[in-house]
Amino acid sequence: MDRGQLSKWFKHPGIMAQKYSLWAVYFCTGCGIIEVPPSITSRWDAERFGVMPAPSPRHANLFMITGYVATKTLKAIIRTYELMPEPKYTVAFGSCPINGGMYWDSYNTIKHIDKYIPIDGWIAGCMPRPEAIFIGVTKLWMMIDKGAATGYKRYRENYEYYRKNQEKLFGKLPWPPLFPIEDKNEKLTV
Amino acid sequence: MINVTIVKVLEFIFYPLIAFVIGIILMGLFRKIMARIQRRYGPPLLQPLIDIIRFFSQRTVSHGKIFSFGVILALAGSLVVLLFIPFGKICPLCGSGDLLLILYLMLFTPISIALSGGEGANPNISIGVSRKLMLSLGYEVPFLMIILSVMSFYKTTSLVEIIKYQQNYHWAIFNFPLIIPGIAYILILPAMMGVRPFDVASAPQEIASGPVVEYGGKFLGLNHIEHAIHMFIGIALFIDLFLGGGPNIGLFLVEMFIIFFIAVFINAMFPRYRTDQAIKYLWRWPSILAFIGLVLVRIHVKF
Repeated sequence: MDRGQLSKWFKHPGIMAQKYSLWAVYFCTGCGIIEVPPSITSRWDAERFGVMPAPSPRHANLFMITGYVATKTLKAIIRTYELMPEPKYTVAFGSCPINGGMYWDSYNTIKHIDKYIPIDGWIAGCMPRPEAIFIGVTKLWMMIDKGAATGYKRYRENYEYYRKNQEKLFGKLPWPPLFPIEDKNEKLTV
Repeated sequence: MINVTIVKVLEFIFYPLIAFVIGIILMGLFRKIMARIQRRYGPPLLQPLIDIIRFFSQRTVSHGKIFSFGVILALAGSLVVLLFIPFGKICPLCGSGDLLLILYLMLFTPISIALSGGEGANPNISIGVSRKLMLSLGYEVPFLMIILSVMSFYKTTSLVEIIKYQQNYHWAIFNFPLIIPGIAYILILPAMMGVRPFDVASAPQEIASGPVVEYGGKFLGLNHIEHAIHMFIGIALFIDLFLGGGPNIGLFLVEMFIIFFIAVFINAMFPRYRTDQAIKYLWRWPSILAFIGLVLVRIHVKF
């Protein structure tokens, strides 16, 4: 933890502040949210690392997708993700967002969430313990430090691909595109 | 003459900075003490500053000109109120305004936030703003009576004169008739600072932090700076009116931290009132005490 090193603060204030002030959207998609209350309250106090739940997606810069993602929930997830100001980081929590987990053959559960929104890191397990959240946070710090947590940049660059996948699932989306789409007829490889 | 001007200019520049630093330390202490009461380790003391740096490094989404303008107007309103409030010997604009002007200017910030929220078009904003205005309707009835009793006791509307009287004789809170408005002021202080039993306007769990729900990035940073200065103003006004205004800056800070600790402990102890319960409370006990105090002060002044 290099929070006390003043020289780094003067060199890259933005990167350091984003590392040590991760506000997570308080959005529960599935059973994974049950691991979040112990990790933000007295047992494993996440606020000592600057991680805390934010009341609104506009305040937040960390999005933890906790648990399985139903098709209906995905719509809310995409809207919430697009509301967050950049730079923003996404972490998929539990095995369900990775490959469907125990809902691998369910007809209305999303198996690969990174087709619809970009994911910076994955925490595997069913359920991952709160310690795993902290290991994930330290990994995210390392990625932010190296400039490897580029999910929001990927979303902007490949917005056409993500939008196409979203529209394939939902039909016509009721909100306008977040970024301008230049050529709609261009063929994209999935 | 030039020296006096230079000192005045330096006061104008450094007083908001001092207030901001003290406000940030108060906000950090708030989170640290709350964590220790809940048996947590808590964030570092300067965590609010880290958050503010993060907000300013993020991209900002604006909903329109009034939306952006209202946030800046709110911060400006707080800064202007600050310049009228004495802090020890420092008081850049004391010669040109009195307590009545401060009363008017203190309404500036909530109205700018309401103005800015009007363009946000989020239902949580309108609920939060209406709750905030209802709450200020609640605490302003006793607050006006308290101010009136202080002004009629000292027979002046100038804050500097009131502080001078207190430092020459007694602190206002140790005077017999004025102790009753003083207690009423302590009772409404959590409502004026917006801490726990009265945080109806910014209830994060009910209405997603109310008026600030649509602010992201730099707007939220400006809002946090405004909040830090507002915390300083809320406590400083009480110290100036009732605790002698602090003969020097050290004593002022000690008084400020004591009042702040009481507010944090109240915040940790109590759950949130509903808006109607908050108004029922504010119009009952503090108002009755303030009214009795006002009558006693009038009698004391007459005879």
